[in-house]
This record gives sequence, C-alpha cells and structure tokens, in this order.
Amino acid sequence: MISNPYLPIKTEVLDVIEESATIKTFRLKPEAPVHFKAGQFIEMSIPGKGEAPFTPSSSPYEKDKLEITIMKAGRITGMIHNLKKGDTVGLRGPYGKEYPLSEYEGKEILLVGGGVGLAPLRALFLALIHDIEKYKSVLFCCGSRTPSDIIYKDCVLDKWQDLDKKRVKFRITVDRKDDSWRGNVGLVTTTLDKLDINLKNSVSIVCGPPIMMKFATFKLIEVGYKPEQIYLSMEKNMSCGIGKCGHCRLGNFYACKDGPVFRYDKISHIHEIWD
Amino acid sequence: MDSYFINKPNLDRLVKSLSKTYKIFAPVKVDNNRFYKKVGEDGLEKSVIGEIRAVEPIKSFYFPARIKIAEYFSSKEDSDTKEKPIAIIGAKSCDLVSFKVMDYVYSQEPFRDPLYVSKREEGLIISSDCTCYGETCFCAAIGIMPYPIEGFDINLSELDGGYAAKAGSGKGEKIIRDYFKLFQSAEPYIEKRNANRKKLKEDLLEHVKKSKIPPKDSIQKAFKSKFDSPLWEEVSKTCVECGACNMICPACHCFIMVDQKRVDGFERLRMWDSCLLMSFARVAGGANPRKLLAQRMRNRFDKKFNFFQDTIGRFGCTGCGRCIEACPGKIDIREVLSKLER
Repeated sequence: MISNPYLPIKTEVLDVIEESATIKTFRLKPEAPVHFKAGQFIEMSIPGKGEAPFTPSSSPYEKDKLEITIMKAGRITGMIHNLKKGDTVGLRGPYGKEYPLSEYEGKEILLVGGGVGLAPLRALFLALIHDIEKYKSVLFCCGSRTPSDIIYKDCVLDKWQDLDKKRVKFRITVDRKDDSWRGNVGLVTTTLDKLDINLKNSVSIVCGPPIMMKFATFKLIEVGYKPEQIYLSMEKNMSCGIGKCGHCRLGNFYACKDGPVFRYDKISHIHEIWD
Repeated sequence: MDSYFINKPNLDRLVKSLSKTYKIFAPVKVDNNRFYKKVGEDGLEKSVIGEIRAVEPIKSFYFPARIKIAEYFSSKEDSDTKEKPIAIIGAKSCDLVSFKVMDYVYSQEPFRDPLYVSKREEGLIISSDCTCYGETCFCAAIGIMPYPIEGFDINLSELDGGYAAKAGSGKGEKIIRDYFKLFQSAEPYIEKRNANRKKLKEDLLEHVKKSKIPPKDSIQKAFKSKFDSPLWEEVSKTCVECGACNMICPACHCFIMVDQKRVDGFERLRMWDSCLLMSFARVAGGANPRKLLAQRMRNRFDKKFNFFQDTIGRFGCTGCGRCIEACPGKIDIREVLSKLER
C-alpha cells in the first residue's frame, strides 16, 4: 500500500508571534512529528481552503514542534494570518533539498537574508550554531526595509548577540531608518562590502525576495565569490511539493524536489530565474 | 514471444469473459470520430479496434480530469467501494507512448501517486495497430510508429477478419494462455501484418512531409536556438488561453489542488491545470516568471521538446495531433515545429 502523499497531518497552532506589521511566526505541533532539515519546506493548509509552501524557521533539532514565519501576501497567507492559538491547520512534508551542511564544514559561512527571507536562514543559523565548532565562522547579514520590519528582533538584536563573538558576527541594516535606529542604513548588498572573510574558504547562502536575491548574488560575484560558492533558496509556485503538478519548473529542475536550495552554478544558465 | 491469431467472434468472447474482471472500454465511432465507451452486454459489436486514436486522451482513465485525492480531519473513513480495474481495448501507439511521460511523473519514487499506480498496475491494455492515419496525425515524423512497439499487455493487428495478437507482458501472456482455445497460429498472417505496417508508415510519412517538421534529432537544438525569437509572440497571437491543448494532450500532466469542506471534515481534489493560463507559475507575493502569453507558449514547447528530452530521453509529445483539432485559435504544433528551423 502506497501512502497518500497529498494527505495533510492535523496540526495545532500553539502560539502566534507578531514579527512585524505583515509578518507572523506560527508555532506548530503536528500530531505526528515532522523531521525537517534546514532549507527543506512543508506545505501548510487551512482546512477546506488550500495550502501553500513554507520553509520552517525553527531549529531542525527541535523534534516535535516547529515554527513557520509567514508574510501576508495572498489568499492563503491572508487566512493563515487570521489563525489563533488553538486553531487546527494541516501540514505535509518535509519536501525538497536541504542546505548541504557537510559542504559547509570548516568554512567561513556568510548568510545574506532580506525581509521574510530570514525565515529559512534562521533554521540554518540555528543548525550551524548547534555544532558551531564544525565551522570556522558565521557572518549573518540581515536586511529589512525599516527597523519595524526586522523579524526575530529578540534573536537578531538581542539573544544572538551574546553568542561567541569570535565565531559569530552580524551585520544588520535597514533600507530606511527611523528616529530610534542607530545602526547601518542601506540595502543588504551594502553589508557585503569590506568582508573580513577568506573567500577561498567561504560559502554564501542567500534568501530573500527575488529582486534582493538577484542583486545580492551579483554583488557576491563582484566581491569575488564563485557561482559554486553561492547557495540560493528559490521561491517558485511549489504546489504539490513532490515534483508532479508541474508549477515550479525551473529549467530542467523542479524547485520542490531538486530545490528549493540550489547552488548558483547549477541554475545560473536558466532563463527566467530571477523573475 | 510468440504471436497468435484471434478472429473477431473469438475476440468478442474473450472480451465478454474479461468483463467479469475488468471494466472495459473500447472506442466506438460517431460521425468521423472515435470515443471510448464502456463495453457492455453487446460486446465489441459497435467497437472500432483499428483505425486511429480516440478523441479523448488515454490519461483520462488513469489521471482523471477531476478526482478526490484525499479526505482529511473527518471522524469516519469513507468506505470506498473498490471498483473493478480498467481494461482499455484499442489503445493506439501514441496512447502507449504517453505513458512514458505519465509513468515518469506519477510512478517514480519516492513519492508515488497511489491512485495512478494502482490503476496502472491493476489495469489491462489491449492495444492495436492504426489501420489508417488522421489528417492531424504526425507521430511518424517524431519517431513514433503508428503501431505499438511496447507498453501493452496484448497488441492486436487487424487483418483478414481478425487480429494478429502479440503478448507484451506477463499479464498478456497469461490471458493468451488462459484462453488458448480462442487463438490460433499467427504464422500465415505475420508477413501481411508487417506489410500493412510498412505501408501505413510510408503513407503517413508522405502525409507529414508537407508539414516540414525538422528531423526528430534536431528539434531540441532548434528549439534552444529559438528561445529568444519573436516566433513565440507570433504563435501566441491567436491563443485565447483556453487550455484546450493541455486538456486534450495525452502527455500534459500538470494539475492544481482544490480543498473543500465536506459534511464531515474536508477533502482535496485534483484537477488538470494549464500552463497557458496566467496564474500557472505565479507565487503569493505576485511575482510571475511567465507574465507574458508568449513566455507561456514558449514554456509549453520548452517542456515538451527540451525538458522531457533531457529528463526521460523522449519528447513530451506523441504526435497524436489532438491539440491541432482542439485549438480554437488554429495553432498547429506541426507548423510551430517547422518554424523552429527557419
């Protein structure tokens, strides 16, 4: 008997955390545990309404619960934003290819995230610091539109700042500042100038809105990264999640089964990748 | 594998007996078209086993246009009454070739589609040679013969008041063994079968010559060279984005899922989708890699003649010509292919 890959698991909403005006994090407990690896995604459904793909933002080492950070952007995400503690949703997955952590060992790791694109990078970051001795260093560059758009404020601006400062560093920037902001102002690409990184022994991982991914990737190439040192999380219409429905095709790949994490050199030749 | 001969009354007897195990469909002719119809009490009396493919693609039986794929969060299970497996009689070569695509999509590990796989595994396919060609047929131009080579349980080649029958699987062999008294030696008929096939192939090749379709092996390269060509805008000028070409295509496999409330719990439906529609690749934030119709038109050819050539070593097109008949904008896939090399 083949198990039904379209069947969601009943999942309880344990908590809803408001990250910004348009972004919320949902803490979820599925009836059966969903063991994901950083970078993989799940399909989350509103019962009777439909589903959409999201990459968990919590630590993959947390076994029976997971967090998903969602920006209100369309029909399903609009309904998800109305969820309250105790509500029931559906979950399928995990699906797709994760970040290849073993390829990052011993390296200086650069994370570049923009807006809600920080979500998969938070899961990755938590996986990296879980075994931080395996990696040479981590530099996390985060960009947000304004200070109030910064998500995971308690982590980014507070908790994570107390980690081993020799190994883990942050560059946080906003496109537009407000009166309270004392930090960097500028697009996330400006944080990639004057990197104190040995590029020969480095990898960079980028996630954010399509336009940010495009310019961050070009900037990384400009500062000296080779395409095979850049990893991207591609946002496509991953509807079935299992390489059948056809919506998320990217050249000869499906984002849902061959990605969503791709090494840039594998996809750089494909037309339409940034659209 | 040995070949046998079965006369028409005996095939009718065989089918009537198989109908105890299978729900059997065979084409019947209405005006000048053929449609699959369930074979009932009167057996194959009105069926057309030879001639050409039916109007509807064979995928309809294995990957239906609209079907429930999951029920969830309900307190009681639906007691699904198990239906008889499907047997198709008179499937054509182009139909069988479409399974190469469908099997790749729906039967591959690690996520096998349970509905599709059970229908394929339990079903029976008794295919048949084409005995003529249709105006829009062009299979031979892309390397597909108008007679089945593989992918059938039994194949029938119509001649002399009956059929030369060949088993193509263990299941087919067993049926021939179980009903051995209905069959006779095919020895006297093989030569004639081969001559019929040769003649039809030559006639069809002659028929498609005027379409000027590039040689099979140069189509992919020609497509790649035309990626940024104004051709796609030109081709899509008369496209009304109805999706008929996708629906009628035996190798188009894309679908959307729709969830809805039931009396008890919820259900998830799967429906055929069309890559020509604006929303096909759009994501929640509104980004759409194929905003322009010309991009979506190109994408259809990209998938069929580039993607599938690379991933499964054959086209996602069977040369059946159904999309030519279905298109209200008179877009002719043969003409598009011919323009790839101009």
